[in-house]
Amino acid sequence: MIIVEDLHKRYKTEHGPGKWVLQGVNLTIPRNVNVGLIGANGAGKSTLLSIIGGIDHPNKGRVERRCRLSWPMGQGGLEPTLTGRQNAKFVCRVHGHQEDLADRLAFVLDFSELGEAFDEPVNTYSSGMRSRLQFALSLAFDFDTYISDEVTAAGDAAFRKKAAAAFQAMTNRAGLIMVAHDEGALKQFCQAGIFLYQAKALWFDDIGEAFKAYKDTMPT
Amino acid sequence: MIRNPLSVSFSVWRAIFLREALDRLFDMRGAWFWLLAEPVLHIGFMAFVFSIMRVRTVGNVDVFVWIMVGMLAFFLFRRIAVQVSYAVDCNRPLFTYRQVKPFDPAIARAVLEAFLMAIISTFILGTAALLGHDTFPGDSLLVMQAVFGLWLFGFGYGLVASVLMELVAEMEHVLKILMLPLYLISGVIWPLSAVPHPYRDILMINPIAHGLELVRLGFFPDYHTVSGLSMQYLYAWAVISVFLGLLLYRRFALQLVMR
Repeated sequence: MIIVEDLHKRYKTEHGPGKWVLQGVNLTIPRNVNVGLIGANGAGKSTLLSIIGGIDHPNKGRVERRCRLSWPMGQGGLEPTLTGRQNAKFVCRVHGHQEDLADRLAFVLDFSELGEAFDEPVNTYSSGMRSRLQFALSLAFDFDTYISDEVTAAGDAAFRKKAAAAFQAMTNRAGLIMVAHDEGALKQFCQAGIFLYQAKALWFDDIGEAFKAYKDTMPT
Repeated sequence: MIRNPLSVSFSVWRAIFLREALDRLFDMRGAWFWLLAEPVLHIGFMAFVFSIMRVRTVGNVDVFVWIMVGMLAFFLFRRIAVQVSYAVDCNRPLFTYRQVKPFDPAIARAVLEAFLMAIISTFILGTAALLGHDTFPGDSLLVMQAVFGLWLFGFGYGLVASVLMELVAEMEHVLKILMLPLYLISGVIWPLSAVPHPYRDILMINPIAHGLELVRLGFFPDYHTVSGLSMQYLYAWAVISVFLGLLLYRRFALQLVMR
């Protein structure tokens, strides 16, 4: 379970503090639920994900993480000059898996389907390959909740299907919080939805309802 | 299973250390070669200049070894200072993993640089010994103590510099300009004992000069060193700079990482 309390966030700009990206966000994200985050560009989706993921910090308010949470997939985390394998080794070591390194690497290689590209530098990868690597990397660890920023939905149709199946398979063990611009992908992965609008967050038990609310705010 | 904070830190240090080693040694074609070539060429050039000037000894010791020891000690300081200054900047993608804190790449780089300099120094001193110079330190403990002081000061300098550069962007230029005369005023290529009186005291404010002279004294027990040499002075600078650096990291940890 993740509890977000009265979260406020704004960024520093050239002209002093910017406007509030998130202002008084309260959320309780239960375990084992796949949640989609929707909202217009610049509504604060990625900001909220990185604050939940613990790599950015709110100006006010707090986040309580009562579970093992992945890093926000898709917000960097790969060193471009190193190969996929070297990056994977680094992530395994950071998460304390020095002993079973070989097993985890085998899993990442297998799931990402990178083949020989696994030993090429990451800056030679296409964006789809990058996403596959990041996605496979986070699945290599047993998190309770995974955070994904535009990663799960990237990649081709076949990979997306495989990713969705992987999450379905562990639906009684792990949850997912994801951002994607593609409505189809979100509905494929998620049951619940969070709609970010005017720096506030609204929770919907059904992602269809969240999309309906989103569309109501759009000028026709 | 919840890992305790110390074991998380250790696994992060280990991971960053290995990653940095890879980057430092194999980043570009023959990167490891240039790590070795830089001090070798500097020492070789200065030795050549001194041999043309027919200088055989400095302060009662072999000038060739005198340059070599001073140069290696100075390179140890400078490389650690520079590497640690850019540790946070060069490892920005890694802060995606919330286990990694800004301090982690800094300590990993400082330790890695110490390892590399130990190997490079052993290689250079060993080669010089084979060429017939007496390069075995007379007082190994004194050498270790002084070298550790220089390492610590380089680390502290790097910590402070990296925060300053992050807070005030112009500091990068100022610090780069500072590094160049440091080479000259620390007595790397000419003996500070040859400097006339009022100016020598001014030069001896610089703790690196103390460090270099102490390392040389450790190598040659009968070296005519500068008066007023003090190990405590070097360590005072080192310890204070490290604590100041840690304090700044604690205070500005978020600014260092956040975009």
